[in-house]
Amino acid sequence: MAIMISKAVRSAAKMAVCGVVAAVVAASSVSAQEQFFDNSKKATNERYAPTIWVDPDGCEHWVMDDGFEGYMTPHTTRQGIPVCRRGNVCGVMDSDQFFATNSAKISGAGKSRLQQFFRETGAVSYIITGHTDSRASDSYNMDLSMRRATAVAKVAQSAGARIADVRGYGERLPRASNASAGGMAKNRRVEIICIR
Amino acid sequence: MKLFKASVMVGLCMAVSGCIGEGGGGRVKDDKTIDYGYRKKHLSQLVAGIWVDPNGCDHWMIDDGIEGYLSQRLDQYGKPVCSGVAPPNTATGNYKGGQTINDPL
Repeated sequence: MAIMISKAVRSAAKMAVCGVVAAVVAASSVSAQEQFFDNSKKATNERYAPTIWVDPDGCEHWVMDDGFEGYMTPHTTRQGIPVCRRGNVCGVMDSDQFFATNSAKISGAGKSRLQQFFRETGAVSYIITGHTDSRASDSYNMDLSMRRATAVAKVAQSAGARIADVRGYGERLPRASNASAGGMAKNRRVEIICIR
Repeated sequence: MKLFKASVMVGLCMAVSGCIGEGGGGRVKDDKTIDYGYRKKHLSQLVAGIWVDPNGCDHWMIDDGIEGYLSQRLDQYGKPVCSGVAPPNTATGNYKGGQTINDPL
């Protein structure tokens, strides 16, 4: 009898422990897994389908309002590139017009053209990105594009413009195919992004 | 009397905080793309300002009355935009543009 009682007590204790554990587990995930979008109040999973808000730059953000709280996060591709309805590139400099081959030096005439551009545009600040075609090595092109972008940024600063960032992307972000001479010429460029 | 006062206070607080209007009365359950507030609107209509983080980089900031939104400003390459439009730890522009309920604080 004593053995039976102790057994009963032990099993009851076990059940109690199990019950607590089960309750905790149920509260966290198990019930949710069973019925992912259960409409009963106990369900922890709920449909949160966002809509799209387009920022003043033209880029998309996921946005939701669940009554009291608001949520927002940038809409990017899986590669981390924002999904934008328009770009903010406000100037593309044809490198052939401003630089000699393999050079990052801007002529006097080129400088004054650029200064005029920055004075007239009057944006809050600018992001300058250099790009090359695919001739020569990747590392050489990364360096050349950075030097060219830096040269443009210096002219911008001399015209009183604020520079947010200067980057060299080398041959990694071509705008056209490098298979033709025309395509390569399009890829040799310095892009100016205007931040309004 | 105390109970009456308390219930009036609770009611007022709910009205001010928007628990009645902004709560959406259960409608948000189905559709989270709309602000069911004092003046109902689709969330694509939000008006943003800029908050500059301690590193000097921009975020879109929207104070929509009850809801607050904050989302990174990114350029087309996915890098943060650090425009220098305002000093760090500052909000600037029309970030309270769409507000229909004033903040209690």
